[in-house]
This record gives sequence, structure tokens and C-alpha cells, in this order.
Amino acid sequence: MHNSTRIGFEHRIALFYMILIVVIGLLALRMVQLQWVQHEQYSLQADDNRLNTIPLLSVRGEISDRNGKPLAINQTSYQLVVIPERVKDKKKLLAELSPWFQWDEKKQLRLLRKVKKDRADRPVILENKLDWEHIAPIAARLHQFPGLDVQVGTHRYYPYGFLVSHLMGYLSKTQKKHLDMGMLASEKIGSTGLERVWESSLHGQLGNQLEEVNARGRRIQVLDSKAPVMGSHVRASIDIELQQTAAAALGERNGAVVMMDVHTGEVLVALSMPSFDNNAFIQGFSHKQWKRWMDDERHPLLNRTTQAVYPPASTFKMLTSFAGLRHAVPLSHSETTCAGYIQLKTRRLRCWNRYGHGHVDMAKALMQSCDVYFYELSKQIGNQKLHDEALMWGFGEKTGIAIPERKGSVPRVKMYQGELMIAGIGQGSVTASPLQVARFAAAIANGGKVLRPQLQAGVKPEIIRQVDVSQASLDKVRKAMRTVVSTRGGTAYRVLSDTAVSVAGKTGTAQVVAMSQKSRKAKKNQLNHHKDHAWFMGYAPYENPRIAFAVIVEHGEHGGSTAGPIAKQVINHWAEKYL
Amino acid sequence: MMSVLRRVDFIFLLLLLAMACIGLFTLYAAVHQGDTSLWWKQCVFWAVGLSCFFILCFIPTRFIAMMSWPFYLLALFFLALVPFVGDIHMGARRWLDLGPVNMQPSEMMKWALVLMFAHWFASRDAGNWRSLLIALILAAIPAGLIVIQPDLGTALVILFTGSAIILAAGLPWGWLLATLGTSPFLVYVLWLNMHAYQQRRVLSFFDPHNDPLGAGYHVIQSTIAIGSGGLFGKGYMEGTQARLHFLPEQHTDFIFAVLAEEGGLLAVGVLLLCYTLLVARILFIARRARTRFASMLCVGVASIFVLYIGINIGMVSGALPVVGVPLPFVSYGGSALLTMVAALGLVMRVSIESTDKIPWQRPSNPIA
Repeated sequence: MHNSTRIGFEHRIALFYMILIVVIGLLALRMVQLQWVQHEQYSLQADDNRLNTIPLLSVRGEISDRNGKPLAINQTSYQLVVIPERVKDKKKLLAELSPWFQWDEKKQLRLLRKVKKDRADRPVILENKLDWEHIAPIAARLHQFPGLDVQVGTHRYYPYGFLVSHLMGYLSKTQKKHLDMGMLASEKIGSTGLERVWESSLHGQLGNQLEEVNARGRRIQVLDSKAPVMGSHVRASIDIELQQTAAAALGERNGAVVMMDVHTGEVLVALSMPSFDNNAFIQGFSHKQWKRWMDDERHPLLNRTTQAVYPPASTFKMLTSFAGLRHAVPLSHSETTCAGYIQLKTRRLRCWNRYGHGHVDMAKALMQSCDVYFYELSKQIGNQKLHDEALMWGFGEKTGIAIPERKGSVPRVKMYQGELMIAGIGQGSVTASPLQVARFAAAIANGGKVLRPQLQAGVKPEIIRQVDVSQASLDKVRKAMRTVVSTRGGTAYRVLSDTAVSVAGKTGTAQVVAMSQKSRKAKKNQLNHHKDHAWFMGYAPYENPRIAFAVIVEHGEHGGSTAGPIAKQVINHWAEKYL
Repeated sequence: MMSVLRRVDFIFLLLLLAMACIGLFTLYAAVHQGDTSLWWKQCVFWAVGLSCFFILCFIPTRFIAMMSWPFYLLALFFLALVPFVGDIHMGARRWLDLGPVNMQPSEMMKWALVLMFAHWFASRDAGNWRSLLIALILAAIPAGLIVIQPDLGTALVILFTGSAIILAAGLPWGWLLATLGTSPFLVYVLWLNMHAYQQRRVLSFFDPHNDPLGAGYHVIQSTIAIGSGGLFGKGYMEGTQARLHFLPEQHTDFIFAVLAEEGGLLAVGVLLLCYTLLVARILFIARRARTRFASMLCVGVASIFVLYIGINIGMVSGALPVVGVPLPFVSYGGSALLTMVAALGLVMRVSIESTDKIPWQRPSNPIA
């Protein structure tokens, strides 16, 4: 080569060296940027790719009755779930699955919305409560559907449905606040009744599992896992067998039966009829069904043991007696004459027995439920004292039971005399729930201890108030209550004298509408919902009290003959079991 | 024979063997979970390639120069056949079925054009507008055929390689500047002639996150792999992006990401250093070469390597659009590896001849 050419070529080669250095230099700079400067960010992205946290479901705790009979259990079933983020085309997946489950267009759309709404990394239930025959064809083809999975799940079942549905309540879907707390949309929470009261013990806690997945979403290895905490089992205070007996005794009639332990406050029976099947809330029901329950004049969703208040009627007479004895008003230790009515200025207050009871003292008045005696007695006691006495024994205040309740009302402080006298026999302005009446009976039996009614077996008894009542007063009232049942002429003698244990009780007939004696004759024409409510309350055994009870039969008319036999059957069953 | 072996450039040979080690080592990490038979095949390709390398050490460059025209015409012939009898892969007709082997005539043309241009400018000056024009026609015909396949990447590689040789062959600086000045217009014309999928690729390159499940997915995943590798990497065969198959095409075009993820910046540095030394050595041999043909040949080979390295790493790291170009000596693939190792064989022969005291050929070339 000529020198000039040679030198020119050297220049060109030098240019190529430069190009080489520039190209490699730029690449190196890019690498420094990615691997050094932005390393943290890309590390996170790589982890995001490969790591997956899968929730491990906990199992809700079960509820049993006091003897271990199941009240709320979990039944095994299969669930078809999908993990949204692992599915590329969710719409297509749903369309492909639809022939197996008969999903129509509308259902597919609803599921699609559900799948998109929930957290993308957590399983969403597509079909629930499937049996093996339904799920098997899909289970065998799971590899064709990445993101799809079959889980063994459970659903809540209440073996006694109607019998305890008011008490058990039901579960409902999680709401936004629960999702924010980290729950899954597929989880259920107790929304009423004991399911709600014991939610924190029953629910348990989700576990989770940290997995490494490959690009197709398949699990390669489990890196870490935290086991779920299973919900605790809770033993309710209810005795389902007694509840069954009460239900059978009540039959088709509307009403409530409450029985509680006089020492612990544990509620053994809490029956409210008519009822509904809370399993329907789990399995799903139509809008129509819901409307039917809501519109039903008999109010099946109402828990009559705590949420309904009635005039306590003659069951209130013990309270009037205690007030009279406490303040030693003249009539409390003397007698009056019942002519079948008492004449006020403008109106006549009648005794239920229009022929009158003749000479009556407190004992006889309680035994035969003489209204005239208590009209006179309350007149002597006065508004304020009757009002105070009622509050003392737990009327007009919530009992403190864990489920929703109404507090009823006590005789007012400002009343006309006529009103006072009517309040003295538990009518008029006085109302109480069957639970309050049962608790009153328990307080009489246990010496004035007003207890908080408990729904969980074996919890520590809680005395809300010790009523300052003399032993003499207690003895007097108790004895009278005993004669109601044990003595010929007592209002419940015919029905309950042959009960397996000695019962002390009191009948009651709660007027629904005030009516004159005259119209009472035309009972055959009387509308059913104008008929009186029938009460029977008391405790047993008389000598060594252990249980107190209250029975109300709506429009059952006579306490002794209608409510009495129900109480008798439950007491007999209790005695057979526990004595 | 001994005289040839005694004159072998050992630095160059050492660099080649280093490349073989890095390549096979990385490839194993990329395929160890799947089809390891690919690794064994690549070993065989290396063996065959090194044999070619060895044989080419004995073939005089004079003879190679003589073969330039026939080789070019043969490649052109195959290339012309492709539109009529080629196999279609992924929307492009690039492959030719030659009985036992499938070949890409466009691959063959890349090397044929290097030989052709080296031969053409061995006796001509790029400053001569007539010889330059003919050279451009010689490049334009195959480039056009490749563009209609369509395979834009390879066409660009061919044009850039040709340009590199023209530059080395004494293109006047003024002409060079003029070309650079008009290139934006050329780019615009090119854009209009692109296939829709190619345009999409370029667009998705500007923002790969626009289309994370489509064209951008490859680049997003490879960038994550590289970035997450950090300074020292996640460890050999421990790269999560590679091991869990988030990284697509990890044993072919995107293998660089495997190396970067598992070996980190350290391994990347070693690889880039080896490439730099190798190309620098080729340029060194080009400078030392006895004949103008040999020099041009070396420059052509060097520019192909620089293009491949730049385009591949640029695309895998998300700095350039996705064009199907292998990473030299590392990506899996028989024909690419064979041609590249063979090309180094030619360079080695140039080196051997340049150390000879007695000229092997006619003492001078026409313009020297």
C-alpha cells in the first residue's frame, strides 16, 4: 500500500475503534442504570412476578346446645373457585364453564362482575355447595383452566332450623368494612342472633401461604405459611330437647316460652313462634320469600322472647304485693271484700270473676288472682312506689341479654288513680317481654337476685341487682304462688297440680283491647286478634328452686288452661332430665 | 501445517475459546429446566464450528477472494427462491427447505455481501462514485429481497455492514456527512414501508408498558430480569425470571437477560469485555493485514459483530426495538453460530498470512 492510503486506512480503523468503544460504552451505561441505579425497583418487580400470597381459609366454630347437640354446624361441600389474576380472559373462562353449571348470560355477567370486584390474588367462589358428582368433571379438567380450582368448603347448617332460628340468627356476606379488615368476600359473618354475638370466637382467622409461582401461575414451591386459626366451638345454654318439647306443646299457636336457671341466669328454653328457617338465609331465598316473611301479620322474624312486649297482667301482682309489703300499707296485712268490681267516680273496674271473691287477703288474692284486692292495694301504694318497685325487679329496663330486646315499660310516676289501679294488676301502662317475666320469677325464687340472662353455658353468673326484700315478704308471696298450683281454687290447680315436681306459679290474662263485660259475652263473635293473651310464669321445684319460666300464648285467653299445660310439659321434661 | 499452527494468533484463539465457555455456560442455565438436549446440540455446533475454523486457517485468502462472486450469486439465487418456495414462520417467509437442513438465505447473504464488498473494494476506491454506485446496487438487490420477506432486522444489518466496509474503503468524509444528513428522510421512507407488525413493535418499544401482554411483554420481563440481577446476580441457575419462565425466548434472542440476572453486572462486564477485546483484536488484524481484501474482510466481520452485540443487548435491555438478532456465541442456534465461528476462521487466516515473511500471493494489489 502507498503510505497515504495506508495512513487513511489507519484513520478509518481508528474510527472503528471509536465506534466499538461508543457502542460497548452505551451498553455498559444502560446496564449500570438497570442493575445498579434501578436495581431495587426491578427486584421488587421480579418478586411481584414470582411471589403469591394465598389465603388459607379458617373454619367457623360450631354451636351446640348445653348437652352437645349441634345447633349450628358446618357441612362439607365443594366450591369452584377462581383466582382472578391468574386468568387472562375471564369472560371466556366463564363461557367455557357455563354448560356444566347451567349459567345463563345474566348469571355469567354477574359472576364476571364478582370476579372483577374482589381482590385479584384471592380465590373467588363461582359455585358453592356442590356435591362431588357435580364437581368431578371439572376437577378432572382443572389443568385446562389455569386459575381455576376446586376447594373443599363448608356451609353453615342449622339442624333444628325453625326451632332456634331467632336465637341462632344467620350469616351474611362480608361488607366493605370487613374486606378492609382483610377478610375475603367469600367469607361469611354472623349478622344476627348468636352467630353475631359470638362472631369473634366463632370466626377464626385466615392463614396465608407464600408461594412461588411460575409464569403460568402454577405453584413451584411453598416458601412460607401461616396456618389459619379455626373458630372456637361455643356451647349455648339452650337445651334443644326442652325447646322441642316447648314447641310441640305450643303447636300452631303464636307465643313464646322462656325457661332459665334461677341461679346462673342461663336460658334453657327460648322459643318464639311462629318462626322461620334460618337455613334459608344460608342457601339463599327469593325476594318473594323475604317479602312473605316481612308482610306476614304473624311476624315470624320477630323474636317474641325478647323483642315483643305484652302487658304482664296478673303475673305482675307479685310485684304489687312486694310493694305493698315493703311499705306495709294497711291492706297488705288485712283483707278487703271483692264484689266482682270496684266503683270509681265515673267508671267501674271489674274483677275477672264477676261474681266476686268475697273476703280476700293477699294470699287468697294471689291464689285466685283477685283483681279487686290489687286495685285497692295499688291505690294504697301510690304511683311512685309502684314505679320504683317495678324498676327494682328489672321491669322497664333491658335484661342485658346479648341479643336484641325491648325494655317494656313500668307504671308511670304521673297517673290518674284509675290508671294506677289498672297498672297494679299489670295492665295499662305496664308491658314486659316474656324474658323479663321469667327473670322476675327467677328473682322471686332466688331471693331477689335480678340476673343477667345468659345464652352461653357455663359462664359466670352475673347479678345485676340484689332487690332488698324481706324474707317474710318472699315467703308470703312464694307460698301464695305455690297455692295457685297446689290448692283447689288456685287458678292453675286443675292443670298443674299433678306436675312431676312442685311448681309455684302465677297465671295471667293480658287484655289486648279493653272491653266491657257485656261484649265479653259475645266471645264467639270476637275477632281472634282481639282475644286476650294467656300467661303462665313461675318456678320449680318449689322447695328448692332451680328453674324459672314464663309462657305466653298470644290470644290464648286463659292463662291457666292455655299457657299452663305448655309450662307443665316443659317442666316435666326438665324434671325427667335433670332431677 | 506446523508452519500455519505456529503462526496462529493465540490471543484471538483464547478469546474465541472464552466466548465458547461463556456461551455454553449461560445456555445451560437457560435450558437446564427444560430441554437439555439443546445444550448438547449447541456443543456439537461448537465442535463443528471450531472444525470449520481450523480448516479455514489453511485456506488462502486469495482463494476466498476468488469465491466471493460465486458465493454472492449463490446466496442471491437462494434469496430469490424464497418468495416462491420458502416456508412461512410467524408471518414471514424466510426459510428454505434444502432436504436435510432448513436454511435462511438472508443469513447466508450477510456473509456473502461482506466477501463481495471486501472483494469489490479490494481493487477500488469508495471515493469513486461509479464503483460506489455499483456496490450500492450489489447491496440493494439482496436488501430489497430481504425486506419483502419481510425481515427488516437482517436487511438493516446488511446495509449497515455494507456501509461499514464502504467507510473503511475510503468513503470521503464529505459524502459521509451528506448521507448522515439525509438519513432522517430515509428513515421516514422506511417507516412507510414497514409492515404493520413491525410498526407495532417499534411503537411498543417506545412504551412497552402500553401493551404488557402483547409485544411489550418480552421487553418488560427481560428488563426486570436484568435489573433484578443487581451487581452480583442471583446466582447461577437461580434467576427467578429465567427459572420460572417469566423470561421468554430465554435460550435464543433473550439469553442475555439470563446471564445478567444470574451473574449481575459483574458477568455483564466480563461478557462486554470479551466482546470488546475480540472485536478490537479483529480490527487489529485488519490493520496488520497484508492485502486490502483481507482488511476489508476483517472490518466487515467486526462490524457484523458490533451490530449483533449492540442490537441484541440494546433490545433485551429495552433500549432498542425488538428485532430478532442473536447474541453472538451465546444464543442457541446452529447456523448463526457456525457462520460466526467460520467468519472468525477467515479472520484467523488473515492474521496467519500477515505474520508471514514471504508473501503468499501476488505482491501488490492494483491500487496499492
